Amino acid sequence: MSAILEVHDLTKDYRLRGGLRRPVLRAVDQVSFTLTQGRTLALVGESGSGKSTIARILARLEKPTAGRIVLRAPDGTQVPGRFYRDHVQMVFQDPFASLNPFHTIGHHIARPLRLHGHDRAQTARQVDQLLERVSLAEPALARRRPHELSGGQRQRVAIARALAPGARVVVADEPVSMLDVSIRLDVLQLLARLQREENLAMLYITHDLATARHFSDEILVLYRGRVVERGPADEVILTPRHPYTKLLAAASPDPLARGRAGIGPDEEIGDEIDAASAAATYDHYTGRWTRPQA
Amino acid sequence: MTDLNADLAAPRPRTGRRVLPRWSPKLAIGVGIIVVIGLWGLLGPFLVGDPEAIRDMGLTAPSRTHLLGTTQTGQDVLAQLAYATRGSLFIGLLVGVMATVLSALFGIVGSYVGGLVDEAFSLLSNLMLVIPGLPLVIVISAFVPASARGSWTIAVVLAITGWAGSARVLRAQTLSLRNRDYIQAARVAGEKRWRVIGVELLPNLLPLLASQFVFAVIGAILSETGLSFLGLGAANSATLGTMLNYAQNGFALQRGAWWWFVPPGLIIALFGCGLALVNFSIDEIINPRLRDIPRRERRNRRRTQRPVKRLDDGAVLDGTVLDGTVLDDAVPDGTVPDDGAVLTVRHLSVTYRTERPVHAVRDVSLALRRGEILGLVGESGCGKTTLAYAINRLHRPPAEVTSGSITLHDRDGEDLDVLAFDRDELRAFRWDKLSMVFQGAMNALNPVLTIRAQLDDVLTTHRPSMSRGERHERCAEALRLVGVDPRRLKAYPHELSGGMRQRVMIAMALLLEPQVVLLDEPTTALDVVVQRGILRELLRLRTALGFAVLFITHDLPLMLEVSDRIAVMRDGRIVEEATAEQIAAEPRHPYTRHLLDSFPSLVGERGAFIRAGEDERSQAAQPPAAASDDGIAAEAETR
Repeated sequence: MSAILEVHDLTKDYRLRGGLRRPVLRAVDQVSFTLTQGRTLALVGESGSGKSTIARILARLEKPTAGRIVLRAPDGTQVPGRFYRDHVQMVFQDPFASLNPFHTIGHHIARPLRLHGHDRAQTARQVDQLLERVSLAEPALARRRPHELSGGQRQRVAIARALAPGARVVVADEPVSMLDVSIRLDVLQLLARLQREENLAMLYITHDLATARHFSDEILVLYRGRVVERGPADEVILTPRHPYTKLLAAASPDPLARGRAGIGPDEEIGDEIDAASAAATYDHYTGRWTRPQA
Repeated sequence: MTDLNADLAAPRPRTGRRVLPRWSPKLAIGVGIIVVIGLWGLLGPFLVGDPEAIRDMGLTAPSRTHLLGTTQTGQDVLAQLAYATRGSLFIGLLVGVMATVLSALFGIVGSYVGGLVDEAFSLLSNLMLVIPGLPLVIVISAFVPASARGSWTIAVVLAITGWAGSARVLRAQTLSLRNRDYIQAARVAGEKRWRVIGVELLPNLLPLLASQFVFAVIGAILSETGLSFLGLGAANSATLGTMLNYAQNGFALQRGAWWWFVPPGLIIALFGCGLALVNFSIDEIINPRLRDIPRRERRNRRRTQRPVKRLDDGAVLDGTVLDGTVLDDAVPDGTVPDDGAVLTVRHLSVTYRTERPVHAVRDVSLALRRGEILGLVGESGCGKTTLAYAINRLHRPPAEVTSGSITLHDRDGEDLDVLAFDRDELRAFRWDKLSMVFQGAMNALNPVLTIRAQLDDVLTTHRPSMSRGERHERCAEALRLVGVDPRRLKAYPHELSGGMRQRVMIAMALLLEPQVVLLDEPTTALDVVVQRGILRELLRLRTALGFAVLFITHDLPLMLEVSDRIAVMRDGRIVEEATAEQIAAEPRHPYTRHLLDSFPSLVGERGAFIRAGEDERSQAAQPPAAASDDGIAAEAETR
């Protein structure tokens, strides 16, 4: 088990339009974590917590304002930037938007293969293999277009596409939140199986605490761009320490909690979490609270 | 795996974008006109004599030797027409191609690359837009000496003045497409920029490009005609415009020589008409909603508009065989009146009359009791929203209620047949007796009106007798009810958070104290903490005001927490209905069980979940993921 991707003090500011002073919104604030082979790290947070921004930065769709991302080859050396995309791939949230309606399924999987050094003959074979690996072994599926597929099938295609370049790191940005509930677990199980088979490092981004707990090994809870709690998945969810994590856990629907509706957090988040605790981070590994240096 | 979905997905109409327009009468006529005129322009000149030949016969009317008569100088009009058509089409095509290439370059490339390039390109196209086109063309043409004014010169001038409008259209579309996930995904895969534009982006702009091309061709032919008519056209070239120019100079109109000016005019009009018809069909690809429904089906629909009266007797429906997957005894038979019910739906079916009819709601019976929360749970495409719309009579063609009845048992004991309401009765019924909070309701507020104006509007419509002060008081009270500060009445929707907007929508739904509130996925787009707050408010209000709630969602655990009874819907049918306790403790339909299993418990055991980091032993103990699904599919089939 070796670290593949190290993220150090990642920070992203967005300049807001309008106004003479061009106000700055800090979407991600000094976030650090490490992705390890064969393990899943979950980034948990609500809308606006910065989790998707982190995903986009890792996929090199955006440039960070500050911070470093270090990608390591199996021998521990740093991988140069131009090979980055051979190693890090992304699964997008919305399978209805992430496949080009104009192109066939085969095109979506063949392109990354071709881009990452396969010749034509190899590619054709590999496309079929990859589709089979994501349990889409239907004949002639590669010749169909995205609109002929269901949401679950599309997301499987998107997963196959992410695996095509031989990626070792997969960033999955809410990979099941747009899918029907009855197939969500199947897609997650598929991701888990592929991860085992390929020994992938996975970053699982979600707002759903329950799947974060069951699907990942480690959880980072994000609140307004900052990590407020980190630790092993079960510990973070079952014994949350930060008020925000507690709030999230209390608000999540739970089939075992019938009749609990009346209970739960009182007000909306802003009132519950004061500035002091919002800035503090609880680390389950060290068992200590930390605050950022000014 | 996806087999649960597969059967759901099958009857769904294909929603993907088509590459070729649908064959319709419009398109057929348009293409027919273009082909005939195109062939005439292409082959006509070979069939007719010399258009320049001067005969000593002067202006003569159509005859056997000269089918369209002759001009002042005895030239054959038909021959001239053939060459003129060819000339006009040539210029139109040339300009169409050049203008489209220019607009694609400035519109697509600029907006995809972004930054300074985009700023510069769009500044240029905006400049070209504000310069009035035809006068500029006239000025440019006038400056080019007549001897150098060939067809190409004119074409270039027309292209330069004509590309800007479509560049703006293409830019807007590209800006929206470049942020689509599939473009981002291509970038993540490592595609080069030119390939992303050429292979991923451009094909999706093809319909738009085609329509802009057709538009440019029409514009070019008309502009060229105008120029030539003014005598500023290409030298030594024959176009429909020069023909008209000669006719004008020869006093054709005054001398009644219709054969001289009518044919070229007609060809211009017909060709423009043909291109416009083709453009309509292309527009339908860009926006499928423009597609019109064949008239035959429209007539059918009118005939079956009111089947309700007939079916109310119940006799017709007795023979209905329920599909095997429905637990007959688990679904209450709607024909038995429920004493406490406030809303009864009996054997309701709703069909979308599209090419392949979609039976979105099939024989659904439901009874909503006074003051209860009934959870209607189902996945996308199961018909739950269609059902809600039908109860509200909000469904629109092609959706249509094909059978069944909806009855509201009013507070004063009267039974109201919802499907038989006329417009005024419907207006009185909606919102007053039954209100609805829509899916994505946060965006259902009008952005340019204050909260107060929008709440007030409901009261002015339904309570015309209320005074201004009373209305204000009532609006403030409604906001207070849902936990929003009444001072926010003055706010505009964008000044409120998503959760607050949703609360305002609920306040609006409760404003007239309806007996039934339909909630269609009211909290799906909200964060869990906000969702929790809103649900709690709703439960409190339900106890205080005593309305009944039909809560539509895909979130079964949520329903287990808040609702009294739950109906599980799948593929247009209610497959199981029971109290929330029963559903939680002993779900009977395999689909309900599957739904329940789909939500891992936050604090409970991990179930079938395998974490990647776990060792091999635990994997071996778990059944493969597909097994459970296949089981359900098999089970459902054998029932």
